[in-house]
Amino acid sequence: MSVEAKNELPASGDSGQMIQLKGVKKSYGDLHVLQGIDTEIRRGEVVCVIGPSGSGKSTLLRCINRLEPPDEGEMYLEGKLIADSGQALNLVRRHIGMVFQQFNLFPHMNAVDNVSIGPRQVLDRPRKESDERARELLKRVGLSEKLEEFPDRLSGGQQQRVAIARALAMDPHVMLFDEVTSALDPELVKEVLDVMRELAEEGMTMIVVTHEMNFAREVADRVIFMDGGVIVEQGAPADVLGNPQQERTKRFLGLVLAT
Amino acid sequence: METIIQQYFDFSIMGDNLDAVLHGFVYTLELSLIAGVLSLIWGLILSVLRQLPGRGAAPIRALAIGYIDVFRGIPMLLIILLISGGLGAFAAEDVLPRWLAIPQWFGLPDNFWYGVFAITITYGAYMAEVYRSGIEAVPRGQMEASRSLGMSHGQAMRYVIVPQAVRKVIPPLLNDFIALMKDTSLVSVIGLLEVVQVGRDVYSSTFNSSALTMGAVLFLLVTIPMARFVDRLIAGQQSKMQRAIP
Repeated sequence: MSVEAKNELPASGDSGQMIQLKGVKKSYGDLHVLQGIDTEIRRGEVVCVIGPSGSGKSTLLRCINRLEPPDEGEMYLEGKLIADSGQALNLVRRHIGMVFQQFNLFPHMNAVDNVSIGPRQVLDRPRKESDERARELLKRVGLSEKLEEFPDRLSGGQQQRVAIARALAMDPHVMLFDEVTSALDPELVKEVLDVMRELAEEGMTMIVVTHEMNFAREVADRVIFMDGGVIVEQGAPADVLGNPQQERTKRFLGLVLAT
Repeated sequence: METIIQQYFDFSIMGDNLDAVLHGFVYTLELSLIAGVLSLIWGLILSVLRQLPGRGAAPIRALAIGYIDVFRGIPMLLIILLISGGLGAFAAEDVLPRWLAIPQWFGLPDNFWYGVFAITITYGAYMAEVYRSGIEAVPRGQMEASRSLGMSHGQAMRYVIVPQAVRKVIPPLLNDFIALMKDTSLVSVIGLLEVVQVGRDVYSSTFNSSALTMGAVLFLLVTIPMARFVDRLIAGQQSKMQRAIP
């Protein structure tokens, strides 16, 4: 049965499995970006995906919420196969929050509206309720002073925290983070990682594509190293980052950790 | 010199025909505003149809593109003649009901409405292209962020993409509106007594151009302030952009 048949996915509890990928492939012409990805993400698990640029990390995230449709393979969200019809995808995406490298805040709305527009338009929540919730979420990410500000008046770190609040407003079952600190000035990285760390501690299921090795080491339950469109190595952060088995992993970590 | 001034600036002829010219200019303004608003709406609809996603919408996209190509490529004067001739004949043959084929809505004559149809059909196509440039100028990430929240393509267009696109295209749309206003003079060809037609009538009875000069001045009284206003809008947008890029 596909999720199309039901309006809401079941609440947590019935299965430990959040996302399952089977043989996911994606090519752009001759460029094979994903060459068969199989993995499972458990409920509450924090998975960090690392790897050189062009390894397919971001494409993997974008295939999970179908911003890019995969060419082959199946994906299950909470045990249900995700169908490929447009309407079914709109329903699935409600449950998958995404935060982008470039923030992608809506520049014509203030912080509260950025956060409340999703619940208001997609879930038909009344304005008062969705705005109230947006204020709560913005307070939670440390932006209670910036509720009415427009994105162009916010720093990169503040914008990214609004973006996290915007995704959380939909009450997602899993959150995807696509190199969310890569476009930030160094001194702004910590405020964003702190918010993500808190989310992880609260038990949010998270898939984090990142170059922040310290974050991966401290927060992740599992680290996936990707290269050339495949999962080369995965396991506990201490193992993958501290004692990599594969040659490619060693070379990559040698280059990254040397700086 | 004397002759030139008398030909174009004969104040006694201007004074005699002031009422008629002003009356004609009211038609010009009504035609501009009604057809302008309809063109804005029709252009937006066309551009949104042109951007519909998915394979199923391919025929609609092709129709929208075909429409825009055709009506940007035909002189508006021809469209005016085709519409007034066609609708007149259709009414005579009972192909179309008279209220539609010979419209007299709101007490305005049928050639006024033929002009409105022709301008909307033509300028809708121009404005669709302006909107499209605005929609395409909105970064891809805006659509992706909207879709990732679970919005449909339509919701994303309505709440996120189009509001940003419209802000970007207000100056070029106003430029199109200035062009539209000047092109309303073409409706004189089917006998609407707008400002140019009034001037021509005065000319053919007096062989003096002063009533036409008055019409030109009336146009400038509207178009020059609008052009200045557009310049200010553009300057404002540019300084805002420069602030965004430190």
